[in-house]
Amino acid sequence: MVSLDASELTTRELNKQIKALAEEGVDEIVITNPAARHNLAVGIRRPCNIKIEGSVGYYAASQLDGPEISIDGNAGWALGENLMSGKISLSRSAGASVAASMRGGEVFVGGNAGARAGISMKGGTLLVAGDSGFLTGFMMQKGRIIVCGSIGEAAGDSMYEGTIYVGGEVGSLGADSRYEEPGEDELIELWAELEQNGVAGRPRFRKIVSEKKLYHYDTLERFERTLI
Amino acid sequence: MVYGSNQIWAPWTVDDIHSKADLGRYRIRGMSTHQRVTHFDDLTFLSTGLTRFPLEGYKEQCSTRVELGGLNAENPLILETPIYITGMSWGALSANAKIALGKAASMVGTASCTGDGGMLPAEREVSDKLIYQVLPSRYGADPNHMATAQAIEIVVGQGAKPGTGGLLMGVKVLDEVAESRDLPPGIDQRSPARHPDWLGPDDLAIKIEQLREATDWKVPIQVKLGACRVADDVKLAAKAGADAIVIDSMVAGTGASAEVLLDHSGIPTVPAIVLAREALREIGLYRKVSLIASGGIRNGADVAKALALGADACAIGIAALIALNCNRDIPEADFEKEIGLPAGQCNRCHTGKCPVGIATQDPELTKRLDPDEGAERVANFLNSMTMELALLTRSLGKGDVKSLEPEDLAALTIEASAMARVPLVGTDKVFGM
Repeated sequence: MVSLDASELTTRELNKQIKALAEEGVDEIVITNPAARHNLAVGIRRPCNIKIEGSVGYYAASQLDGPEISIDGNAGWALGENLMSGKISLSRSAGASVAASMRGGEVFVGGNAGARAGISMKGGTLLVAGDSGFLTGFMMQKGRIIVCGSIGEAAGDSMYEGTIYVGGEVGSLGADSRYEEPGEDELIELWAELEQNGVAGRPRFRKIVSEKKLYHYDTLERFERTLI
Repeated sequence: MVYGSNQIWAPWTVDDIHSKADLGRYRIRGMSTHQRVTHFDDLTFLSTGLTRFPLEGYKEQCSTRVELGGLNAENPLILETPIYITGMSWGALSANAKIALGKAASMVGTASCTGDGGMLPAEREVSDKLIYQVLPSRYGADPNHMATAQAIEIVVGQGAKPGTGGLLMGVKVLDEVAESRDLPPGIDQRSPARHPDWLGPDDLAIKIEQLREATDWKVPIQVKLGACRVADDVKLAAKAGADAIVIDSMVAGTGASAEVLLDHSGIPTVPAIVLAREALREIGLYRKVSLIASGGIRNGADVAKALALGADACAIGIAALIALNCNRDIPEADFEKEIGLPAGQCNRCHTGKCPVGIATQDPELTKRLDPDEGAERVANFLNSMTMELALLTRSLGKGDVKSLEPEDLAALTIEASAMARVPLVGTDKVFGM
């Protein structure tokens, strides 16, 4: 285990050292005093274990492929952005755009998530123990968003594919999304997943999927009809 | 009886209304705007005479090498010619076209750029210098790919359709393209206009820092803007930390756009460069933050004029595709039968039925473009443009394209004088100043 004191390092030095330690194969990297700084633990593309003791700013644990990162605190915007694989666990709440464009892996938020949670998501799982905000799952393409609490307005707006599960209330559905009844097996799997992540309760999840009415233009021009 | 032509209800306007009456939505096409705008043809160079002497036009050394994005990057982008190939997606273009463009760029020591669909591995293999785009859609976005790039480009807007995202009709979203973009095959893909993870310029500054951290501060981060509110946008992008700014004008090309955006948004290339130059000068970053111009660059003269107005380099799209054979009546193609328009007038890139194998994913049509032969043609064209640029530069008595300046130019029209901020020919007057 190697400990790095963020208060003594610039962001550049810190990320450089984290990458070097991950390269060396250090079993655990602990970062203390993050002081909600932006861009911590960015661009690590190999498996490693990182523990951040405190709150982080924007883009924490983003552009990753492989690491397992736990953060004991809150996070600013875009936690876990573009995650390819690995797992990010946040003990408290995340700001806007958590897991934006993630393509694989898992992001767990122990508290609430802000607006645009799982926006443009392309794979993997985002699990929010609390509530999530406006435009959750906006234009999501693949993957799963599981919100144990309630979701704000315009849930799943313009989603292509993927699934949003919600345990509480839904402010409103967004354009081209609809409810679907989850199967009992699906619920049992979800509850098991909650248990694995230490989330209490067995919410009766509702499921939001794409209505697929915006998949195509309704009409084509005369010449297009002969070509397309 | 001979009638005059009707300016308001021209035949194409009548046809446009008929089409929309059938269609019930906006129309879509490729290529670029049909608007008449002030362009580089409205400027002329004041070459040497008795007041200064030229360099030997055909032979004497003239440097065309430029360095872009050196403000913060450990490894700036060094190009042997100030012309590179702009971002065009694998999806909008065939894999053969992307490979040919990458190869051509490598052959002449310049760069090509990915596009709204991520990085095609075969394109990476043949490209010595590849710019990796980060777009609002993030289709195919992969930090492993980004780490191999020679520059990163955050796309805020595109000149052909500023204020909106990409468009790719379902006929081009075939299996491989759909998979790389994580989309259902066959959907009419309408990409987001806003980035998922940042909204305003203050966020952009943090995003730029993130990309620097992800790429270890090695490569330049450039920001591409659709040319609209140029002065403010350029200042905000520079303040956010961009190493280079690309100004993509309203005459820039596209594989598919709503016509209403193509024809009714943005400003032309000439004023866009001048506004960007002055904006950078005002904040003390002119020639520190690199300025790249794109939109309607067709030949070495256009490049020379763009550089003289203040750009450090130019990016080309449609011109490179034309060199690749776009709109060329090749023996394998029957334009009238296959696309419904004669060669030379085609703008139907969005239909996916490109008769020359460029703007298509159809395996049979794609075979009509040999990537090696295509690369040869595009490399020849890039070399031709570079020679034209050097020829003009020498004729102005200069041995380096970086020495071109507004004082080398005069305007042929009052509008061009006002937009380029150079005197109207035959006068000492810069209109609008």
